[in-house]
Amino acid sequence: MEYIVQQVLNALSFGAEYALLALGLAIVFSIMGLVNFAHGEIIAVGGYTMVAFASLAIGNPMIVMVGAVLAAMLASLTLERVAFRPVRKADPTTGLLTAFGVSIVLQNLFLLFVSPRPIAVTSLYFLDWSIEIAGIRLASLQVFETLTTIIVIIALMLFLRRTVLGLAVRAASLDFEMVRLTGIRANRVFAIAFLISGLLAGLACIFIMARRGSVDPHLGFEPVLKAFVACVVGGFGSLPGAVLGGFLLGAVEVAMLVMLPQSLGGMTDAFVFMIVAMILIWRPDGILSPAVEKGDKL
Amino acid sequence: MIRLSSSQRSGLVGAALLALVLVAIGLLTAYFGSRYQVRLVYSAYVNLIVVLGLQVFMGNARITNLSHSAFMGIGAYAAALCVTPENIKKISLPDAPWGLAQFSLDPVVSALIAVVITAVLALLLGMLIVRLTSIGATIVTLAILVIIHAIFLYRTDIFKGNQAFFGIPQVFNLTSVIAIAILVVIVCRLFRESRWGIQLRASADDEVGAAAMGVQIYRLRLIAWVLGAVILAVAGICYAYFLGTISARPFYFNHVFLTLAMLILGGMRTVTGAVLGTFLISFGLEGVRYLETGPVFLGIDLPEALGLSGIALGAVIVLTMALRPTGIMGNREIETLFVRQRH
Amino acid sequence: MLTIQDLHVFHGPIEAVHGISLEVEQGKCISLLGPNGAGKTSTISAITGIARSTGLVRFEGRDLSRDSVEARIAAGIAVSPEGRRIFSNLTVLENLTLGAALQKDAAEKAKDTDHWFSLFPILAERRDQSAGTLSGGEQQMLAIARALMARPKILLLDEPSLGLAPKIVRQIFDLIADLKTRGMTILLVEQNATQALKLADYAYLMSSGRIVAHGTADDLGKSDKLMAELTGVA
Repeated sequence: MEYIVQQVLNALSFGAEYALLALGLAIVFSIMGLVNFAHGEIIAVGGYTMVAFASLAIGNPMIVMVGAVLAAMLASLTLERVAFRPVRKADPTTGLLTAFGVSIVLQNLFLLFVSPRPIAVTSLYFLDWSIEIAGIRLASLQVFETLTTIIVIIALMLFLRRTVLGLAVRAASLDFEMVRLTGIRANRVFAIAFLISGLLAGLACIFIMARRGSVDPHLGFEPVLKAFVACVVGGFGSLPGAVLGGFLLGAVEVAMLVMLPQSLGGMTDAFVFMIVAMILIWRPDGILSPAVEKGDKL
Repeated sequence: MIRLSSSQRSGLVGAALLALVLVAIGLLTAYFGSRYQVRLVYSAYVNLIVVLGLQVFMGNARITNLSHSAFMGIGAYAAALCVTPENIKKISLPDAPWGLAQFSLDPVVSALIAVVITAVLALLLGMLIVRLTSIGATIVTLAILVIIHAIFLYRTDIFKGNQAFFGIPQVFNLTSVIAIAILVVIVCRLFRESRWGIQLRASADDEVGAAAMGVQIYRLRLIAWVLGAVILAVAGICYAYFLGTISARPFYFNHVFLTLAMLILGGMRTVTGAVLGTFLISFGLEGVRYLETGPVFLGIDLPEALGLSGIALGAVIVLTMALRPTGIMGNREIETLFVRQRH
Repeated sequence: MLTIQDLHVFHGPIEAVHGISLEVEQGKCISLLGPNGAGKTSTISAITGIARSTGLVRFEGRDLSRDSVEARIAAGIAVSPEGRRIFSNLTVLENLTLGAALQKDAAEKAKDTDHWFSLFPILAERRDQSAGTLSGGEQQMLAIARALMARPKILLLDEPSLGLAPKIVRQIFDLIADLKTRGMTILLVEQNATQALKLADYAYLMSSGRIVAHGTADDLGKSDKLMAELTGVA
């Protein structure tokens, strides 16, 4: 019993992390067709902010966490202004390659100005302890992560349904020009999408850092790769699809970890991606793909 | 005898012009270059073959591929496993399964086997990729890169992971790689100007329109994908046959960035762009690498700047996309530059 | 109220409108007629700032030609575009809410919503339904109502009758007539000249990017030029 509950929580917390990141990718993709390869570097910015706080001898966990999230949001907003504005109207491939280039530049900036080696960050260890609920021992970090993600998803849903700016973000995924014709400034819509994306990356960063305890230039790469795959599985550009894809990927990954023999431990990802490939053979556009018109719209 | 269309004939003219450039660079290096410079130029030619293999798929189908270095790795390892003498394999791969350490073949047969293995793998993976939307396909190629790298690292009994796989006979020199590069340029140009290549490019511009004209887009993409993989395997073989040792590291991200930046800078839509971008970045990067080591320049002792070359590559990609998304060459091949002047 | 002088409109390198001038007076309904491809929608796009253009676009005495799309909307221009372009992934009510995006006062917004719902009972019935599920006529009403939610000083209507059944077309034109009696200034782009001329105080006839005739509805209705342009029979 305890084992099963632990594994379910495992799957939920993995899935929560992927869902947070996939949502951040999907919201940007939905309004501007940009596949943001630099999302992982936003996470790394959060991680290095924690390092900066540590070197300033600021240990207050609230300051560290809020600071990391704010830094991630700021970085995301800055990338929109500096790098992605020139390719706003370009085709998806141009945007994708730009983001790819931005990602390389940022990784190497970390390498050049900070360090190529991992730097330990200990200020978040307190998040992880063993708690007992109804006689079952669980890792608090995983409980936090799952709960945070659920709260964030609900908050995001409320924002997208109840506020004018939220409605504009949803409408912009369909027809950005028409949104401008209602008088809403395009730059505000882009800014809010990147801010949300940065916020989600910042939150994910807290949990990634609490688990790993160190940051290096490639911190964000692997989680974001998984988030990309979650987006593709869910249907790229669909927000519910991103959440579904994230949790599905978490479940598959934990199932593989549980079922594969120890000797194949290094190959978990390969098996996970193989299952993903099968899902894509079944549905090439993803499970919840938004309707895409390939021809001219009337 | 295959009859060539007029666009293919002008393609051959263009390929001949590029071949002249390739031979000229090779001759200059062979006569005036130091050992180090010969090595440098050799690797530029290997990268050229990689970029050409990338161009066949990316340039014609317009889908970004990030797994190309992995296919290069497959070709290199497959050839290395076949060609390395048994006595060396017994030492370096004592735990190799399936009798992999119990045979060795001559270089030509080994290369052929490596190409076939890569092609078959590419065909299987390609059947998945060509059906996806462009963005989905790119993400899946990224996943393929990660998986294949994981396999290289995980099966140390076959690939030796990040350790050197040594003892590969060094049968290639600069001349052989230039000859192969010229051959690949010709193949790429002929494919680009063939009915398949033209239809594929048309369908990349207007998928619905091309489908309505009866273009079988998935099949064409698959052909370009497999042809690209074959060329990548050849590049891997050239790499292994010259250096004599390989490891998993060169077939991963850094190499993906490097070759992608080359293709993007030159212009992915043309073969000329692939050649131009490769040489510009190969030689340009040498300068950046020099700065990276922290040289004394004009009497100033510069600090060591690890990561500078990465920043330069990323900046090349970002700036090209912002200023000229189709790269330096755009849609123009080398021969059109000369035709224009005659008018 | 709205003055256009020597307007040239471009789509990329192609010039779609070659220097037209027109005038919309306060409280009037002006109609812009012409066959497909005459440049009517391009003209509308130039007024809203979506399309690149040169020439003068003056609204209430202010030159808008350098302003952004958003600034022009904020100045009091609202559009029901060609093809309706409702947000089909949003509900009817959400579409209207976005129409009033610049209205900060929630109470005023609610008042407007109620007002237009009372005028369009069919939309009120479907307020929480996804707008994509509406029929063509209902979508057109929604597009007009969305534009009106902004409390515009001028309403640009681009082909409101396009692709609708005759009965629905009559409903839409009744609605426009009603808006006119309420004092709304309207620039109506139409291919359906007979219906448009019944409503319009003044009309311009466009062909191949130029204004080829203009006059009061009565004058223009009698001219042979109109029939020739619209039917292609000289």
